[in-house]
Amino acid sequence: MTDLAADIIRRLSGALRPSVAISVAAVLVAALVGVGLIFALGVSVTDAIAAFIDGTLGTPYAIAASINRSIVFALVGIGFVIANRANLVNVGGEGQIAMGGIAATAVALYGHVGDLPAGLAFLLPLAAATIAGTVWGSIAGVLKIKAGTNEVISTLLLSFIAVWLLYWCVQSPQLLRKPMTSSATLPESLEISDPTKLPLLTGDYSFPLHIGLPVAAVITVVAAVVLTRTLFGLQLRAVGFNPIAASRAGISYSRMVMISLATAGSLGGLAGGLMLLGEQYVLKDGFSSGYGFDGLVAGLLARGSVVGVVASALLFGFLRSGGINMEMVAGVPTALVMVIQGLIVITLAGAAFFMGRRT
Amino acid sequence: MSLELFAVFIGSSLRLAVPLLLAGTGELVSERAGVLNMSIEGMMLTGAFAAAVGAWATGNPFIGLLICILAVLPVALLQSVLSNTLRANQIVTGIGINILALGATTLAYREIFGARSREQIPGLSKWSPPWLGDIPIFGQAVFEQVWLLYAGLAVIVLIALVLRYTTIGIVLHAAGAEPRALDKSGVSVSRVRYLGVIFAGFMSALAGAFLSIGDIHTFTEGMTRGAGYLAIAAVIFGKWTLGGTILACLLFGAATALQFQLPTLGIDVPNAFLIMLPYLLALLAVGGLAGRQTSPRALGEPYFRR
Repeated sequence: MTDLAADIIRRLSGALRPSVAISVAAVLVAALVGVGLIFALGVSVTDAIAAFIDGTLGTPYAIAASINRSIVFALVGIGFVIANRANLVNVGGEGQIAMGGIAATAVALYGHVGDLPAGLAFLLPLAAATIAGTVWGSIAGVLKIKAGTNEVISTLLLSFIAVWLLYWCVQSPQLLRKPMTSSATLPESLEISDPTKLPLLTGDYSFPLHIGLPVAAVITVVAAVVLTRTLFGLQLRAVGFNPIAASRAGISYSRMVMISLATAGSLGGLAGGLMLLGEQYVLKDGFSSGYGFDGLVAGLLARGSVVGVVASALLFGFLRSGGINMEMVAGVPTALVMVIQGLIVITLAGAAFFMGRRT
Repeated sequence: MSLELFAVFIGSSLRLAVPLLLAGTGELVSERAGVLNMSIEGMMLTGAFAAAVGAWATGNPFIGLLICILAVLPVALLQSVLSNTLRANQIVTGIGINILALGATTLAYREIFGARSREQIPGLSKWSPPWLGDIPIFGQAVFEQVWLLYAGLAVIVLIALVLRYTTIGIVLHAAGAEPRALDKSGVSVSRVRYLGVIFAGFMSALAGAFLSIGDIHTFTEGMTRGAGYLAIAAVIFGKWTLGGTILACLLFGAATALQFQLPTLGIDVPNAFLIMLPYLLALLAVGGLAGRQTSPRALGEPYFRR
């Protein structure tokens, strides 16, 4: 009997790639710890889980909101994976999202795009968001090439700067804050006009899936193909494995660093634009809070696979939505989700040792 | 700027630089030994929280400080095991620990104090050194500080002496620059690096305690606000020398102090810009203002015997 069980486990684990098995195991372990913590907090586990499921799958609205959230994580995560191919770690997702949000709001509100035909009303703000993210990512690239600055520290610092820029933008009436009519005017922008909002796929606000979904789907496919089936993908990987050998083979290290960090930034900016034009509509302080790290963790969890990013982004999208509902209904702080994420990252990083990476 | 205001500015710059000085010195030792310890942000936050809880529960801030050091030790051990024994990516593990620390302290804080409490917590007492404290105008404004500041400065001086004049300093340097040579000479690279990370944890604990029970006598969620990353930037800015790191920390401290000082002078600079200033300076610093960077050669690379 035990032989049979062992055999089944062996066959199953043979079918799964070890990296997938490790990722799944890490998530399961972290989820178990999460349930344990809910128990320790003295909240009824069944109540918490009921609230969690209600917040993720309970209503069409909850499902669409979770998917919209996953889109942001997926874009940031794909950016992370692309940069990671060149052995770079982009931890600046949060700042890139914030910059995208600022640019999208500025163009949507003050770019006179409302009357433009053929969807330009929302496409131009989206393009501005992407460009802003690209610029933000490229700064880290330039610093890496020109000064050898570790991109982890530069993207982190750029994130802090972007978050305070966002705060500045919504605090200052000269920038994006809505006109101050009284002292009670909230520090946020005006609501963007209807034509600049992203069209909903169903046209129904009770199921607010927007066109970010097909956009993200196309980007996912393109990224997967480029990384695995093109010369560029190979060059990126070559630079990641050994920059010196790659440059002997005629691949420019600087070029690869710039392209990968700029692309990661552009995807972060686009994600910020989608968030603002697709669901937020008003620029607020802290709107990007936590999204960058969630995207980063989705990228890490995927262990280099674009398809894996989509899977983990969906996981986190639903995890976040469920977590928020758990806080509102069952009184479990959303910080629990961060504990789970931190555990996943640490477990995965530690598990690499047992995966034959004993060089 | 009047002399009085200038004295206050110097005093608050020093006070705001202390967490960076402590954590930065710890990070420097860890990086000299070859471990890029990204988790000092998380260690500081854990320390700030443990110190606050300890001081609040016992009513004695000194016991809070001891509890804080004990609480950070496992975090430092975790980072050590991951980056030395398991040879995991040091940056990724650091980020993971930081996310975990932010989540865990927020969760525990809500459990213990309830959401958004502003309860005062007994803090460390102030001390003013003899003579220096009696200098007119400057004496009180600059030198009357929490005693942990002076204790921390003493530790930093001690570290300076150890790094410069003892075998320990050479061994640390070798672990980060020539781990293989160190290994061949019969010293365990792993052990040196473990101690380096644990020392960074100890210093981060002090830095965190200074934030919560030294400076503002309360804990707020995520109160480190990237101070750990600033400390890492200070080490880079200081080109991995202790003197340079200290200068960089003082500069960041002064930049932070400006945000409280400029408004009192009637200078109208957007608050957001002033809050951003230390991070902006840090970015300029790591972005080559300090010249070409010369990190320890084996920094961030796990060591293993062939």
